[in-house]
Amino acid sequence: MKVGYLCTFTPKELIHSAGFLPYRVFATDRPINLASAYIQSYSCSQARGSLECALQDDFHAFVFTRCCDTLMRLTDIFEFAGKRVCNIEFPTKIGNVEYYVQELRDFIEVLREWGGEVNFERLMESLKLYRKLEEKLKQLFALSPDYETAIKVQQIEVRDAIKLVDEKIRTAKKEKEKPKVLITGSVCPYPKVYEIFREAGFSVKDDLCTGSRFFEYSYPDFEPVDLDSALKFIAEKYMNKSPCPTKHYEKDKRFEYVLKLAEDCDAVVFLLVKFCDPHFFDYPQLRARLEGMGKKVALIELEFPVVSFEQIRTRVEALREVI
Amino acid sequence: MKRLRISEKMRELMTGYYMAGMQAECNAWITSGAPVELLHALDVYPVYPENHGALIGATKLGGYYCEFAEKNGFSRDLCSYARCDIGCVFAGTSPIGGLPKPTFLFACNNICNTVVKWYEVLSRIFKVPLFVLDMPFIRKELKDCHLRYVEEQLYDFISFAERVTDRKLDDAKLRDVVLKSMESVELYSECLRTAANKPSPMTCFDAFVNMAPIVCLRGTDHAVSFYKEMKQELDERVKEGVSAIEREEIRLLWDNIPVWYRLKWFGEFFEKRNACLVADTYTNAWSGFKVSRGEDVLSGMAEVYTVSYLNIGMEMTAEIINKLIDLYDVDGVVMHSNRSCKPYSFGQYEIQKKLSVPSVIIEADMVDERVFSEAQVVTRLEAFLEML
Repeated sequence: MKVGYLCTFTPKELIHSAGFLPYRVFATDRPINLASAYIQSYSCSQARGSLECALQDDFHAFVFTRCCDTLMRLTDIFEFAGKRVCNIEFPTKIGNVEYYVQELRDFIEVLREWGGEVNFERLMESLKLYRKLEEKLKQLFALSPDYETAIKVQQIEVRDAIKLVDEKIRTAKKEKEKPKVLITGSVCPYPKVYEIFREAGFSVKDDLCTGSRFFEYSYPDFEPVDLDSALKFIAEKYMNKSPCPTKHYEKDKRFEYVLKLAEDCDAVVFLLVKFCDPHFFDYPQLRARLEGMGKKVALIELEFPVVSFEQIRTRVEALREVI
Repeated sequence: MKRLRISEKMRELMTGYYMAGMQAECNAWITSGAPVELLHALDVYPVYPENHGALIGATKLGGYYCEFAEKNGFSRDLCSYARCDIGCVFAGTSPIGGLPKPTFLFACNNICNTVVKWYEVLSRIFKVPLFVLDMPFIRKELKDCHLRYVEEQLYDFISFAERVTDRKLDDAKLRDVVLKSMESVELYSECLRTAANKPSPMTCFDAFVNMAPIVCLRGTDHAVSFYKEMKQELDERVKEGVSAIEREEIRLLWDNIPVWYRLKWFGEFFEKRNACLVADTYTNAWSGFKVSRGEDVLSGMAEVYTVSYLNIGMEMTAEIINKLIDLYDVDGVVMHSNRSCKPYSFGQYEIQKKLSVPSVIIEADMVDERVFSEAQVVTRLEAFLEML
């Protein structure tokens, strides 16, 4: 049974250990029709596209984390549309593990109501499986970033996902030295967009939650011994994941993270979804810092479903030419 | 429309407030839903960029100042309070000469997560410390862990502010400020409630114009005496049966932040059609900031500020609106779908279905007059009023 989620801060290990399939919901190629009756046109197309998907496909339930103002309201909107939902209050301000552990305890109760049972052994198994998947994805991306795979693994059973990534690692070839571009943004579930960058002569690195932000974690250095400590492990794992603009960090950790990623890149592209407030607030100041480092920077604004890939191509080729 | 005498006083009071800001030794820029009592207790002057945005909107210069932010890369799709405020920083001025440079920043996300991003931008511009008071979103129930989380942060904030300002928070003073805050909130609520009379002595436009003191001066004597006087004037009107508009035939409720640059236009539009917007959800939101008289001030504060109007689930929101519909006995609701305020606007389509009276949605923006489409708004509202 599929349990849909939208944000990479969702503790998918818990959903999985309860016997459900954690399924990341993205906008698809379907035009947005039904969702327009539920939410205004100035919401981002990832929200509207996901709602469209939820209204048309079969899901057991949906899990939300409060990451932006749109997601905060989307939980209720999904519920009004007749869906089973739960919102986990992942803190906006990163730091208080104890508080979040309690939220996770409550989430276990919700999973139980949905017909899923979580116990320590099964949770440990899920934690191990996802860590294995994340490490393998890191390995694959070190050879050659494969966005089609990174997106696909978020919608299939984790054991199958590991097998798929293993296969891809076997056949992947180390990319040749080419000018490198860092693509930063929220989601872009259309693998063709990344191909455009490659076809224009770039090698690609990313800071996206359909890319590296799905698998970049620094894991806590303790071994859980019971359910409670496993929850603590999850809380710390997610608080220490690759930083996201929807969260508030000490010492501007998010900016520092992107600047570090950009060090070995020739260009940076902000691939932003229209109406995505957290990214658009960061954009001007982050851009200035990147330009200060001598990087060529471009902004490409997207709306899903992407209708004109050729427009993106023109922008990317123009960027490639100035390098 | 019969203007309230008190509006003149409000102008004087707020001019004094802004002037005092220029001289304050130490100030903090603060979001409208944050517990300002802590700043007053520390003698830190609170600066409200949102109020400043509303003021600029009302002077119809929103688009002008937003452009300063847009030229610096800030998207036109971002909140217009934020764009306007950041724009004024880049412009180095505003209709009131700009806001004083902050000593520190205090953002509380019980109204939106946008303020966190907005204040991060400010913190980088001014190179001053930012404290984020993180409120969990209360979609269904307020849990103990939420309260503990918020309360701990209130203590953190006090240490933070004491460190930055090199001052010590005095418990007795905090209690005194909280008492004044409670009193002003109570008086303010009483003012709003006079609109339950028929005919109503005030419109929501009076409420919008006179809300600045409850936002900016809550916890001071100024707010208490201001709303005492406003209450007196409204009571007089009620006693004499004075109606805020010429002829009140239809009573309406407004939802969302006002369209600041069109206050007068809306007022006249409705009055011409004998419709009185007697109340609104925006100003009523401040009537919720009643810190309890309990022993522990901070835990009381944690509770009221966590369950603020924009930080609760839509089921509760619809319930509150239905209560306002009953209290003010309105015939319909005008919902402003505000491009600049996603948490206030998303969900309106669903809330509409849960209301006990008919409603209409109009699209606009609170400060950015460039997106206002008069013909569309008129068509919608006329059809709605005819239907009522």
